[in-house]
Amino acid sequence: MDYVLQTYHLTKRYKDKVVVNDLNMTIKTGDIYGFLGQNGAGKTTTLRMLMGLIRPSAGEVELFGAELNGNRNKALERIGAIIEYPGFYLNLNAVDNLEIHRRLMGMGNKECIDEVLTTVGLLDAKHQKVRNYSLGMKQRLGIARALLHHPELLILDEPTNGLDPGGIKEIRQLFLDLTKQRGITFIISSHLLSEVEQVANRIGIIHQGRLLEEIDYETLQKKTRHYLEIKVDDGQRAAYVLEQKLNITDYLVTEPGILRLYEQLDQPEKINLTLTKNDIGVKKIVLSGDSLEDYFLKLTGGE
Amino acid sequence: MFSVFYTEIMKLKNTKLYWLVLLGVLPACLMGSKALFPKISPAGIPLAFDMQDMFYSQGMVVTILGPALFALMIGYIITREYQERTINQLFSYPASRIIFFIAKLLVVFSLIVLTVWLPFVFSIVSTILVKHHLDVSIVWLGMKMNIMICILSFGTIPVAAALSMVGKTIMPNAILGSIVSIFAGISEAGHSMHSILFPWLAPYWPVRNLAQGIAQPGPNPYAAPALIILIFTFVVSLTFCIQYYNRADVHSGS
Ligand SMILES: Nc1ncnc2c1ncn2[C@@H]1O[C@H](COP(=O)(O)OP(=O)(O)O)[C@@H](O)[C@H]1O
Ligand SMILES: [Mg+2]
Repeated sequence: MDYVLQTYHLTKRYKDKVVVNDLNMTIKTGDIYGFLGQNGAGKTTTLRMLMGLIRPSAGEVELFGAELNGNRNKALERIGAIIEYPGFYLNLNAVDNLEIHRRLMGMGNKECIDEVLTTVGLLDAKHQKVRNYSLGMKQRLGIARALLHHPELLILDEPTNGLDPGGIKEIRQLFLDLTKQRGITFIISSHLLSEVEQVANRIGIIHQGRLLEEIDYETLQKKTRHYLEIKVDDGQRAAYVLEQKLNITDYLVTEPGILRLYEQLDQPEKINLTLTKNDIGVKKIVLSGDSLEDYFLKLTGGE
Repeated sequence: MFSVFYTEIMKLKNTKLYWLVLLGVLPACLMGSKALFPKISPAGIPLAFDMQDMFYSQGMVVTILGPALFALMIGYIITREYQERTINQLFSYPASRIIFFIAKLLVVFSLIVLTVWLPFVFSIVSTILVKHHLDVSIVWLGMKMNIMICILSFGTIPVAAALSMVGKTIMPNAILGSIVSIFAGISEAGHSMHSILFPWLAPYWPVRNLAQGIAQPGPNPYAAPALIILIFTFVVSLTFCIQYYNRADVHSGS
């Protein structure tokens, strides 16, 4: 398996506070890696170490199969990034800002600027000074800049900050397209599970500097249990009927009149019919799951 | 390296930095052009036009205002990367941080040259226009003075650079610059010889040298120690800057 990025026991201490603690991350080619953690969990600090902006207190970063230390410049040519905040020269317009980037990355052709501006939907605003950009526009411009030099790996720190729901959807689709069309690998950090789960195929959960779990999205989905939620007029009798007539024992009464069934999930009609036949009024049957959000909260102890 | 320098120049588009240049250039031109008006000695005899006097006045103005202006220039160029939170991106380019630092120093050097030479060019042009005559040997003296001012002014730039990268705001530079400029004004008003021992006043040495016959005659006996002090200041602060810029953790000023 090809790894774009691996960290070994990556650690960052400030004075005696351990901010990133013994992190072992693995990111494969073509991954969209959701780097998930609450505010202050250590995401930005980790990403800074990946870019060589700060020095690890201990541990190592390996990028494209080579240790970052000593190969930094080579690695950086293949990475596009927004770390913490999409900073731009506010007195310049979008084109000038990207022109600076183009020159510093040694890209020959000026057309790449209009190309990326089109990609992120900022072509019409390209002559506006960035001072007048909203945070959402800066995020888009940051993504444009990160894309300009055709990187293989994009490291984006909370890229949907400041975007409206429509914009978030667009950007999400853009990430998916880029992975599909160009095989770009992504690391996207976020403090919101809902943002990561819709694009990521792998998720790393960081909490108080520790990587609690690194998991395929599919595995994660399996881990979260699904159930049938049933609302009836008489919970006690319903439970009795379910046990006696349908042999259902794996269930929970969450509130009076509300039951969660963890078996026979594919039989809602049969359950409904049985309950009705036994004079129990069924008000609602829905399939739902312990959401990923619940799972995430459980893992990070934030109930 | 050239492309890094070029991008550093690009970053200054539409900034107030050029006003700082004008803030040095205009007073220098103004003071210099005084020499163009007819003058009468205290004894009541009309005096001949003296181009040397013109260069001298300009040199005075530039070396008094210079410390404040040049400290603000390097301060802005370095601290804006933290203020506008572009430092993360800047240090994510596949180039050594030292290259960026050197490019920034070169930009400030260019601005110093601009500030010092625009009044010089102004004097020459206005003299030709008003007097229809130019004494080339004196122009040559003025040119030497201005070259020296540029080089000597650059000597303290790394000190201001160090302040800005540690402080990450322009305030320390503004304070340092204004104090030094006030001090320079007082010293130069007294035609002080030994004030050039203070590194920020070293540029006054060639100015005062030009004033042979205007102020006290004779070479400045403090020139050699002043140069040594300035070079020492330059090397130490430059070394500090390079070390600091290269090693510092980057937090985009957050
Ligand atoms: N330069 C620093 N000095 C001391 N503590 C820091 C520094 N930078 C970050 N931290 C601390 O490290 C923790 C993680 O910060 P950060 O990586 O920015 O978290 P996240 O990006 O996940 O929100 C926070 O508690 C923060 O206060
Ligand atoms: Mg962060």
